[in-house]
Amino acid sequence: MNKLSYFDSGAEKTLFAILACFVAIFPVMNMIFPEGSLLHVSSFQLNVWGKYLCYAILAVSLNFLWGYTGLLCLGQCLFFALGGYAFGMYLMLMIGELGAYKSVLPDFMVFLGYNELPTHWKPFYSPTFAIFAAMWVPGLVAFLFGLLAFRSRIKGVYFSILTQALTYAAALLFFRNDFTFGGNNGFTDFKFILGTNINDPAAARGLFWASGAFLIGVYLLIAWLLKSKFGLVQRAIRDSENRVRFSGYSTTHYKVFIFVLSAMIAGLAGALYVPQAGIINPSEMWPTKGLDIVVWVAVGGRGSKFGPIIGAVLINLLKSFTTRAYPESWLIILGFVFLFVVLFMPNGVMGLWEQIKAYLAKKKSKQVTASA
Amino acid sequence: MIFSSSKKCLSTFCILFAIFITIPSAWCDEVKARQVLVELVQTDDRSTHQASLDKLSKLGEPIIQEIVAAWRVGNISRSASTQIVYWKVADNTYQNLATGELAIPADDHKKSRASRKLRKQLSKIVDFLDLRSPDMSTRAEAARKLGATQKLEHLEILRNLSQEQTSHEVKLAFEEAIALCLIAHGSEDEKVTAIKLLGDRHVLAANGFIEKARKIAVGADATNIISAADIAMRQIKEHQQFIDVIGTIVRGLSTGSVLLLVSYGLAITFGQMGVINMAHGEFIAIGGYSVYLVQNFIITTYGESSAMYDWYFIIAIPIAFLISAIAGAILEKGLIQFLYSRPLESLLATWAVSMVMQQAFRLYFGAANVSVSSPDWLSGSANFGGVLISFNRLSLIIFAIFVVVVTKLLLSKTNWGLHVRATMQNRQMASSLGVPSSRVNMLTFAFGSGLAGLAGAFISQIGNVGPSMGQTYIVDSFMVVVVGGVGNLLGAAISSLGIGMIDQGLQPILGPVMGKITVLFMIIAFLQFKPGGIFPARSRSLDD
Amino acid sequence: MSHHPLYKDTDLVLSIESVTKSFDGFKAINDLNFYLGEGELRTIIGPNGAGKSTFMDLITGRTRPDEGTLKYHQDDGHDLDLTKLREYEINRLGIARKFQTPSIYQHHSVYDNIVLSLGHNRSVLHALFYKESKPDREAIEEVLETIRLQDMRHHQAGLLSHGQKQWLEIGMLLAQKPRILLVDEPAAGMSDEETERTGELLLSLEGKHSIMVVEHDMEFIRQIARKVTVLHQGHVLKEGKFLEVANDAKVKEVYLGRQKHE
Repeated sequence: MNKLSYFDSGAEKTLFAILACFVAIFPVMNMIFPEGSLLHVSSFQLNVWGKYLCYAILAVSLNFLWGYTGLLCLGQCLFFALGGYAFGMYLMLMIGELGAYKSVLPDFMVFLGYNELPTHWKPFYSPTFAIFAAMWVPGLVAFLFGLLAFRSRIKGVYFSILTQALTYAAALLFFRNDFTFGGNNGFTDFKFILGTNINDPAAARGLFWASGAFLIGVYLLIAWLLKSKFGLVQRAIRDSENRVRFSGYSTTHYKVFIFVLSAMIAGLAGALYVPQAGIINPSEMWPTKGLDIVVWVAVGGRGSKFGPIIGAVLINLLKSFTTRAYPESWLIILGFVFLFVVLFMPNGVMGLWEQIKAYLAKKKSKQVTASA
Repeated sequence: MIFSSSKKCLSTFCILFAIFITIPSAWCDEVKARQVLVELVQTDDRSTHQASLDKLSKLGEPIIQEIVAAWRVGNISRSASTQIVYWKVADNTYQNLATGELAIPADDHKKSRASRKLRKQLSKIVDFLDLRSPDMSTRAEAARKLGATQKLEHLEILRNLSQEQTSHEVKLAFEEAIALCLIAHGSEDEKVTAIKLLGDRHVLAANGFIEKARKIAVGADATNIISAADIAMRQIKEHQQFIDVIGTIVRGLSTGSVLLLVSYGLAITFGQMGVINMAHGEFIAIGGYSVYLVQNFIITTYGESSAMYDWYFIIAIPIAFLISAIAGAILEKGLIQFLYSRPLESLLATWAVSMVMQQAFRLYFGAANVSVSSPDWLSGSANFGGVLISFNRLSLIIFAIFVVVVTKLLLSKTNWGLHVRATMQNRQMASSLGVPSSRVNMLTFAFGSGLAGLAGAFISQIGNVGPSMGQTYIVDSFMVVVVGGVGNLLGAAISSLGIGMIDQGLQPILGPVMGKITVLFMIIAFLQFKPGGIFPARSRSLDD
Repeated sequence: MSHHPLYKDTDLVLSIESVTKSFDGFKAINDLNFYLGEGELRTIIGPNGAGKSTFMDLITGRTRPDEGTLKYHQDDGHDLDLTKLREYEINRLGIARKFQTPSIYQHHSVYDNIVLSLGHNRSVLHALFYKESKPDREAIEEVLETIRLQDMRHHQAGLLSHGQKQWLEIGMLLAQKPRILLVDEPAAGMSDEETERTGELLLSLEGKHSIMVVEHDMEFIRQIARKVTVLHQGHVLKEGKFLEVANDAKVKEVYLGRQKHE
């Protein structure tokens, strides 16, 4: 168990195969089966599952940080939202003159009395620039914050609390109208993406494929990192940072690298999420969102490669079901589910099988000693 | 039942007693005023009018204004046969003007009309009525208002009345008013003296007038006045700055006190016990809702105008503490005690509790904020040399000090405090030395949660009470504790006051939201340089 | 202000002069002078609170001195000021430390513990693209043999016995091929047999590395002692051969004497 490879168990291999098939086939079902057919997948559903894939990527990025390095970041939602905002800027500009005010400027700017596009918005006409910004803006924030925090040896709960404060401060900033990112309402009413109408089923399929491919790519990248010496060091930092430091490793460099990589992945997940959700606003970086991601990872199983994916999808399925059926009790149900997992399932859903096996083994050995 | 009825008796008695001691003097003057006015209405002989008017002008009764106004619009009538004067206070409702009792007017009652001259004289008396008001602050206020009109004709009455003033405060107000009139109308010397007086006394309201006088003086080339005005304006400006600084400090203290109250409980549960209680904010909400429930209970049981209602907040404070402390004890027994060595797990588990509690509030009390009103005695504000501080805020500061002192005493003087300190230093050692650690833990957590409840109770008086009210404060509270140095209560007190001061100092420059953001970033930056906070906990253990 | 060394020798690896360190007014280290020679095996003893651990912390950069100099004499003749370096930089100079409580990677295999301790490819980029070479494998095998854990190489380190963990940590230091070995209470929690073997191991390393051993166990010290330094109240009380030190009146009073009373 201690030497990791791309797939550490048969279960992981199977899950990976299922994921790959799902990503490949789901949009095809949207394309080839006519509406009304039992096998038809609507564009709406495709969008919903596309969002879940983005959540899964986000959860994987947090797990990379928390599960394998021991850094519990409560502000992962900030990186996700920053990426979302970066790509959202491109989408806002693509609305062109089709907005309510028929202006080249985004509606909220007209409403706030802007005469021309602020300079920092101009490069976002380029989708390539926007995608890169969705990576390097969160990466830069993570770099600066991480460098300062890790240099001064802030860790454990202190790191968690500070990341929460960071995302809180950022959310307050984004809620302001004069911050040029639409204030309270954020960005919405997107029309086109890469020249395609955003409501076109082709756009939904493309985004779904992109999200799925990115998730698979991130999975493989992280699996590769984990099985390298880098991964060994990473997990060593989690278990005994002092020993790593006294073995001649700059743990600060490692942690900053991991934090930045995780933020960039989260940012790209945000960029893929926004066109599928059709909206991005500051509530996405509110501290409670950061904790939601922690819940996904914990429920799925932190420190396992598929745990966060399963957690993100399970919790969001449960959410979409419960908020429709029993809207008032959703948070109570989630609270109790999470409490149960924290107390009784330290390795989440992915650790359940091992837990059951250990329990049965214990019972068996007890029986053996009892009969003997 | 006996208890509640005896309380009712007591409160009624209190009210009656209060009425008896306050009424008589006011009652005398009012009766006098009524009598003089009755005389005026009844006598047609103009020669006696002046004597009555003189008498009237000595009285500052507010009722005079009402009666004179009624007279003007024809609501005063008199009956020739009974010689009774009536005041029509509403449609078909009359009172005997002399006694104030309700009366059915005699058949021959006729509207009385005052002569033009009398009306003029009366209106003069009414205009200056407040100058003679028995209430000293009304009197001073009236003088200041008259002064600000800068009318020459007011100078005389101000001067006359100024002589009669016995209260120092009021006399000052009259002198300032006279000075204000003089800088518009006096001779050059008078102007200079007046400006000097206003400057020496830092009369903030006079700044504009002095500036105006200076402008006029520049036109007239009166150098004396110009230089006096410059000095006075500088004095006033300096005083204004001084007041601003004091104001910022006081507001900072009060913001700091809120922070201190919301974070002190956390400083105990997080700092002393090492438990990251994400549901801390919900305990604050419990405190807020406790006040709300007590308020409602008192209103439904005793009514909104009862004396009990005035005291509901005082009653609510210990209840808020108790309820949140009990909730804290339950949480500790049911959950936290299993997570002492696992801070991250305690963070996650209490976050789940926080979600459940928030939703429970929402279901029970509704998603909207509930309304909690301040009792009268907390709604006013006190004036400290020009700085206005609401009693709410003031009581908050006092209460914060109280909490710090009581906590300090509890920790240093009681057996429990000794146990807490022992347990926090070395859990295993303490329990092997016979400290009942599980009981100590429960009590400590309950105490910390109770403090959060107290904070909530006070926040109900200055902010909103709602299901997510705790979320507003949770990030701030953690920041305060981390900046202060975890495990250090003094540090938490200092950091909350410091953060409050900086916050209030920045707000006038940056506005409330940017101020808050800046403070958050400053805290993050501060922790880069002092990661252990103001008072870092020293640990020599190898695997920290 | 200049410090004149008591003596200066080209064979030194470490010169510590006039070092003082206090915590909240308590002087843990007080005007300490200490020199370590190339290939020397030095034992450091002292009663509890004598400042032994703080002394190690100062050398490894875990804490910074208030005053004084810590000089590391490199092979090429250049001296380095250790007070200006971070822990990992000090370690990379070839100063390796074993902690009092075994500090190993519990969830890694014994083999990976050693891999992580090799003295190269420790930067982020190098670690990403590291491929185990033949010399590396041989070096690891050699270490495993030295610490007698060849058969346990795939075991999770957390499952080893206490003594084995102590040995693994020593092995981890050796894998780095350090110039100076700082060993904090290696015999703590070991059986008599394990203790003796640890002593033999340390003696076998003499000459190849400069070694500083902090110990309490008198039998163990008797076994390995060459030159002994006695610390008392953060200051060197006595330095010399074991018997010399053991028979010193002052040392008996502060340390051995007290032990007899116990």
